[in-house]
Amino acid sequence: MMTRPADPKPADSAESELRLALARDDAAVAGVGPVLRHLLVADEPALFSEEVVARVRAALTDLSGQLCHAVTVAHGLDAPLPPEDPAVARLVRALAEVPGMLAHVHALALEAQLAAALQARIGLDPVLSPLVQALVASDQQRTAADAMHFLAAQARLHRQIGTMHLPLGELPPELLHGALEALRETLGGAGGTLHPDFAACAEPAAEAIRARYDERASRAGLAARLVTGLGGGLIAALQLPHAGVALFASALSLACQQDRAGVVLAMQGGQHLRLALMLRAAGLRTAAVNENLAALDAPPAPDALGRLDAARAARLLAGA
Amino acid sequence: MSAASAPAELGARTDAAGRLLAAAEPLAALQLRCGGTLPGPIAIPDLAELVARAGAYRLRLARPIAAEDGHEAVRAWVEVVPEMDSAGAFAGCRLTLAHWQTAPLPAEDAEALVSRHAEIDRALAELTARLDARQCLLAVEAEGEDLAAALATMRGGIGRPWTDFVAIAGDIHRQPLHWRLLDGAELTLPGSARHWRARLFPHGLPGGEPAGFELCLTSDEAPPEGLPEVPTLSGERLVGRDLAPVLRQPIARIIANAETIRARMAGPLADEYAQYARDIAQAGEHLLSLVDDLADLEVIESEQFATAPDAIDLADVARRAAGILAVRARDRRISIAAPDQAARLPATAEFRRVLQILLNLVGNAIRYAPEGTRIAIELSHVGGEARITVADEGPGLRLEQAARVFDKFERLGRSGDGGSGLGLYISRRLARAMGGDLVVESTAGQGARFTLGVPAG
Repeated sequence: MMTRPADPKPADSAESELRLALARDDAAVAGVGPVLRHLLVADEPALFSEEVVARVRAALTDLSGQLCHAVTVAHGLDAPLPPEDPAVARLVRALAEVPGMLAHVHALALEAQLAAALQARIGLDPVLSPLVQALVASDQQRTAADAMHFLAAQARLHRQIGTMHLPLGELPPELLHGALEALRETLGGAGGTLHPDFAACAEPAAEAIRARYDERASRAGLAARLVTGLGGGLIAALQLPHAGVALFASALSLACQQDRAGVVLAMQGGQHLRLALMLRAAGLRTAAVNENLAALDAPPAPDALGRLDAARAARLLAGA
Repeated sequence: MSAASAPAELGARTDAAGRLLAAAEPLAALQLRCGGTLPGPIAIPDLAELVARAGAYRLRLARPIAAEDGHEAVRAWVEVVPEMDSAGAFAGCRLTLAHWQTAPLPAEDAEALVSRHAEIDRALAELTARLDARQCLLAVEAEGEDLAAALATMRGGIGRPWTDFVAIAGDIHRQPLHWRLLDGAELTLPGSARHWRARLFPHGLPGGEPAGFELCLTSDEAPPEGLPEVPTLSGERLVGRDLAPVLRQPIARIIANAETIRARMAGPLADEYAQYARDIAQAGEHLLSLVDDLADLEVIESEQFATAPDAIDLADVARRAAGILAVRARDRRISIAAPDQAARLPATAEFRRVLQILLNLVGNAIRYAPEGTRIAIELSHVGGEARITVADEGPGLRLEQAARVFDKFERLGRSGDGGSGLGLYISRRLARAMGGDLVVESTAGQGARFTLGVPAG
């Protein structure tokens, strides 16, 4: 990274603006080395495979497009913003800056990639896993209904992700809130949009999106509701080959009180020790932990794991 | 984990400030067990956060929540719908809960528990001080009006042991004690009516001698606000208020049934069984009078005890006492010489209490005097005092017995006769509470004379 001595008295505002722009470019250049090194020599290229990066970019672009569409609808036009409108590109950048957004979108891409890999390797259906089949056939009406709703949502999201889409309704509420803030700032900011009228439409557009949103109807919400309802049967959802990637991630997130995106990340190559700790914290015995690792084609957990009880594993995770 | 017998889904409402307005069971019960009120701010942390978030984002949320109430871990699925009023302003949330599950709390790690308690004590301390290695004060901080006096004296006594400024419950040792003995000690502070607990946190290397201490005083009682709380009599009356009423009924039933058996009302019975029944009835009566005595004791020993003096006629009270105990006296062929119908002795005292004292005195006389003797109840008027004397022809009391006879639980070596050792103690306390006294004069072998004096009317 290039360093320059700080000048306590900038000559004029034009110069200080230039300095700011230069500093931003420095930061971008500084990132080149580590990123390139990672892409070239990393043990686990899956985290940043071209497919994953393309999916992340596509998801952000799709989210941005939906936000812009909501704005034009609020303005009375049922048409997308023209792609050359600078607001679209600026919104994609602003969305990437929303805290947690990249992690979430990245996790969805990784989840899709992992589900496809497991389907190819052990024939695990990304939508209809053995557990989902069993729950749909449950004689408890509530469970069966929850399972049916989840099945429909999972099928829908699986298809949407496959076609490089991500509906706003699938964002967690914290991220949707951040996205709506990003929309307001982008359209309200200088040089925002080709149509200055649109700036005034950000608020009604956000209001309409809020009114439509229901976390309960999202795939993650339905999965969480389904696994919460399992109660003691949650342990059944902690077997990856039985539960499928989607329910497994939701169940483990609930059982070890970790973020779902973090669980998906831990299921990737090179992160399996973290996954083993999460499973241990969820109360699984070493044998069951190793069955899950085997399904991911990972080596068994180190012996030390067997000597940790669930509470210690949870503390280790919390401190990590 | 077990599914509670909760309805499939249960509802609740909050207002715009996030207060729980209404909740179905078992959510309502959990709110109360978590220390909340209904209506009141949500006391379940996960739920409070979820509701706050739904309000801030104006978004419909659906999440699992986890909670503990000290005994159980609860998990549930919560759906929160923010609602707007007609003007479009946030009006509160509608909550739907499902999948309510409870499980016993796992045992807590002892070490973690200790350190958490230490954190809590530090956070709640209303008086904190830094002490040197000899537990002498270096600096003191306190908040709260009732601590101002203690703070001022402690700040004036920097360099002296902190124990000089507090009164430690049950402590008889020279100060300061080893810190481990003082850690957790109950104490009182001058100027504060509250009870305090001391926590000492040593500084320095673990395992070595402490280089100094952090002293934290916490109280389970809230600081006084505005008017001082009026102490209530009922707060202390365990026996009289709580125990006596529930004990009386079963004991009365034991006595009544034993009497039924003794009187052979339920059919013929061998003599020895009738005797047993009589013993049971007597033991029951003893138990009943003991309950009454203990309830009385509790009342008269409370600081707020006062009698309600009235203009009464001691002669009338004496005749009533004699009448009440006449049957018992006749059983032992003892005669009671009560004042005649024309006698009058006006006094200022509480009728009920004077009668209670006389029943105790005459009852004792009947119990301890030999059969076939006579008990005299005499009236006199000396100075400003109206006196009533109960004289028996029993063995009397030796001087040292007379000195002890009014002591609490004093039985003068007797046992198994139905006495509690409380009667005379209570009687004297009552007499003194009415501005009078109860004394005994006796010579061994010549009977005992108990004299109750109360202000003349």
